[in-house]
Amino acid sequence: MRSSLVIAAALLAGSLPGTALAQSNTSTKNVGIVGTVPIICAGGTLTGGNTFDVGVLIDTTTGFLRSELSAPDQTLAGSYCSTRTTINVVATPMTAQNFTVTPPEGFSRQVDYTATASGWTTTPASYRTGEATNPAATQSRNSAFTGPITVGIGGFATTGGSALRLVADTTYRGTVTVTLTAVD
Amino acid sequence: MTKRNNLLAVALATAVAVLAAQPASAQVAAARVAARSMPVIGSTPQVCAMQRGRIQGGALININGLDGDTLRILQLTDPQTLAARAASATISFEAFCNFPHRVRIESQNNGLWPTDGRISASTTSTAFAYALPYQARLTWGDTNGRLDANAKLRQISEQRIDVNHATAGDMLLRIEVTQGASNTGVNAPLLAGAYGDTLRIFLEPR
Repeated sequence: MRSSLVIAAALLAGSLPGTALAQSNTSTKNVGIVGTVPIICAGGTLTGGNTFDVGVLIDTTTGFLRSELSAPDQTLAGSYCSTRTTINVVATPMTAQNFTVTPPEGFSRQVDYTATASGWTTTPASYRTGEATNPAATQSRNSAFTGPITVGIGGFATTGGSALRLVADTTYRGTVTVTLTAVD
Repeated sequence: MTKRNNLLAVALATAVAVLAAQPASAQVAAARVAARSMPVIGSTPQVCAMQRGRIQGGALININGLDGDTLRILQLTDPQTLAARAASATISFEAFCNFPHRVRIESQNNGLWPTDGRISASTTSTAFAYALPYQARLTWGDTNGRLDANAKLRQISEQRIDVNHATAGDMLLRIEVTQGASNTGVNAPLLAGAYGDTLRIFLEPR
């Protein structure tokens, strides 16, 4: 977009004076030169591996969810929006990918967690899977901004309650999605 | 200004307008929203685990309780007849398997046999018994199994039970020696000595 405006200005500078000087009498014409800065948002580049890898989910002695589960934060570097924005984070529970039927009594096939996106707004956007509502999932910023967004997960809990164990499965998978939306 | 110059000015103005207008069109509209998705992954290995056994109170006959992992029968025989006395107990094991699995009950001796290996059929008359049969009944989730350690031969005997789904809870094991049990005849007197067996329970992949 910026390059387009520069080209336009160069054309005017190179052509208009020449045409004006070629006339013997003064004649004035107004030529409007306009440009717009578009409303644009860019999500930036992910650093930190692009994946939250929690590893083994259970205490192999008890079969229950490990209490110390964690994964390194991911960073969205170079994110920007040219106007005021909202940031939204949504997530899906970690769900067994191969064990797809209803688990037997005493077992669960899903893990809930909280995903948080911070750095863009004063109050981080956060979303807890399994909750009926997530009012903090969307946060607003009243000015243009550029800066890194730190995305983290935590607060893991077995869906259905801590008395349930997780069924064996080589892959439990969920997704965290962060969205920047320009606001007119 | 000549017509040619007017046309040039109009053309330039149009060029400016076009150049300025392009970014504001659909090209940029898509950039009003930027989203990034990150997968969250983990795994749960296949695991079975079993805690130490706990004696179930209220169901003990001729057995005091667990001594470590040993079930000790108080009076193995009737002091008058030397025939086996009934004895039974139920032991519970807190356990889980988070995948379809198998339970294997294994008796090392196939009955209660003399711990002194010198006592055998060749060292006694047929009037005496020298081994005691017993039954082990197992309840695990919605599965039941039974091992008859019949004391016919001193050998390993086992029972395998497939369990088609993950199971968690208390595994119940009931051990029963019936009144008058022996490896020769009912109520046969038992040779003097200490008798024992080792019963093993395995939770394992099928």
